[in-house]
Amino acid sequence: MNSLYEVWSTRFNHYINEVQKYMRYVFTGHLALVLVFIVGAVGYQYSEWLKVAPNTFPAEWIISLVVGVILAISRPVTLLREPDQVYLLPLESKMSLYFKKALNYTFWSQVGLAVVIYIVAIPLLKAVTELSTTEIWLGVLFIAILKYLNVQIEFNYRYGNRGENVIIDRITRALLSILTIQTALTINYTLAIIFVVLLIVYNTSLKKKVNKQPIPYEHFVKLEQNRMMAFYRFANYFTDVPHLKGSIKHRSWLNFVYNIVPFSKKSTQSYLVYRTFIRTDDHFYLWVRLTVISGVIAFIVNIPIVTWIVAGALAFATTLQLKYALLSSKDFRMDRLYPVKESQRKEAVQKVLRLFMVVQAIIVLFCSIGQPLFFVPAIIILLLNEITFRVSKDPSKHDYSY
Amino acid sequence: MTLLQLSDVTGGYTRKPVIKGLNFSIGKGELVGLIGLNGAGKSTTIKHIIGTLLPQKGEIRLNGITLSEDIDQYRSSFSYIPETPVLYDELTLKEHLELTAMAYGIDESTLKLRSEELLKEFRMEKRLNWFPSHFSKGMRQKVMIMCAFLVNPKLYIIDEPFVGLDPLGIQSLLDQMDEKKKAGASILMSTHILSTAEKHCDRIILLHEGRVRAQGTMDDLRRSFNMPTATLDDLYIAMTKEQDHE
Repeated sequence: MNSLYEVWSTRFNHYINEVQKYMRYVFTGHLALVLVFIVGAVGYQYSEWLKVAPNTFPAEWIISLVVGVILAISRPVTLLREPDQVYLLPLESKMSLYFKKALNYTFWSQVGLAVVIYIVAIPLLKAVTELSTTEIWLGVLFIAILKYLNVQIEFNYRYGNRGENVIIDRITRALLSILTIQTALTINYTLAIIFVVLLIVYNTSLKKKVNKQPIPYEHFVKLEQNRMMAFYRFANYFTDVPHLKGSIKHRSWLNFVYNIVPFSKKSTQSYLVYRTFIRTDDHFYLWVRLTVISGVIAFIVNIPIVTWIVAGALAFATTLQLKYALLSSKDFRMDRLYPVKESQRKEAVQKVLRLFMVVQAIIVLFCSIGQPLFFVPAIIILLLNEITFRVSKDPSKHDYSY
Repeated sequence: MTLLQLSDVTGGYTRKPVIKGLNFSIGKGELVGLIGLNGAGKSTTIKHIIGTLLPQKGEIRLNGITLSEDIDQYRSSFSYIPETPVLYDELTLKEHLELTAMAYGIDESTLKLRSEELLKEFRMEKRLNWFPSHFSKGMRQKVMIMCAFLVNPKLYIIDEPFVGLDPLGIQSLLDQMDEKKKAGASILMSTHILSTAEKHCDRIILLHEGRVRAQGTMDDLRRSFNMPTATLDDLYIAMTKEQDHE
């Protein structure tokens, strides 16, 4: 039936457009620049290390481990939606056409990551093993075969078991994938092929179960929703994704922070903003992530000017993104009606950011101890927080409908 | 004594007005029902009164002042229960009450006193430290109601209050409204549950296509429609039919 192909291609185009729309912001964001910088630095250190890497370094095992685990994570991209469980029900028997397309896309969208990691590791293989070029490139072939099987199996497993205990299936496949690559890289091709055959047998047995079962729409729809949410959350670090509701955690170990807000009309917005910041995963983890990156760079890179620039760029990114996240919201909130000064919100956000940027500065300070002028990054962080907050535009200005 | 006065209010979301030349008032201690079909302009009217929309023409006076004359004073004079509960996902029930108390300048002992009463009335005492994600629609609505009654303002603006509430919740809300009315507060309530409106409202405002079609007590309305024994349901249907013939 052609219409199912059409359903798939319409959805696929819509999905790609959606992804492109947000990826544009991701690649033009300031964080992307920092990441490019970090990739460059790590790449440089890697090439330096290769020059002195010992021959006994267990490259085959480490590469098989990393690539094998990545191969095992083969979440199917089905693009199914909630209404499908009603509207596509009459087409149940023809859905295999749709899923074939879906799994094809899943394979091509996921095989890249495993191959790229393997290719990055090729210089390492050349440095510490005696594999010939053909033997090394044969590894890529194995990775492609393994990815294809992993995608099929994870789909069939989820189909047959409605996603229950998928972790067991993943561990099984991860082990077999690791062993396949490891044996292939140590020229034990017979063993490698036996492991691949085992995976094929596993897949066939799952398929028998699948043929007897109705499509577990609920599971696949939920999986799809989670996947899109994860993408939107990611995109939300770079741009404003409308109607994105971040998940909330209590984080009661940070309750003591709220004690600095007194019970008074003047602190209404502070009461709210402290909790919003600490309990919303998006906001809190954004700060945690950027702080960790800043700290790690300060700790491992020994060129002062580099740590200064990174600390500054990350402090700028943290302040700007959190200011935007906490001040702009197009949705109606009850505090818009509160008889308190409009400026209270902005002042409250500034206070919260100041506090958490002081913490960031302290963490980076500790990480850079031992370097010349170790206190400079901390000062840069505090300065950039103040300047960024003052100079950047106020996102709340355009939101009010009055 | 008039608490809320709308004079010739025209407005909407875009240039094209949704409500046109509204004139009505609410007196002290009065419970007024705002009735109309979907899209008649009830929620838009309410948005103008709470100040999230500004009138394109006309003015709204609450307790003698307009929003632009003294925004804090204006906002302190009312509390609002929206049609769909608007809660902070990151705040517990207790924190919602505390936040509201802080915003309206209620001291801690008054907060404790009033919230204990409300929590008991709406049977939410055991949910104090829960987050809204664990609440049903009715419970979310109860949180909004409790926050509104905690403030103890001069005017309550309640948009479609009964949807999602269980029968006990509805009774508690009606009791609370009654109590506040007796204490001199005014209430503007929009609803589709006409039997309840007929039974509890002192006056009814019938809104149709953005205009006040009729207003007054049930007797006033019966007279103006020339239907002496009609219920509010009958009047409502008569109003819409009349409009269809035009």
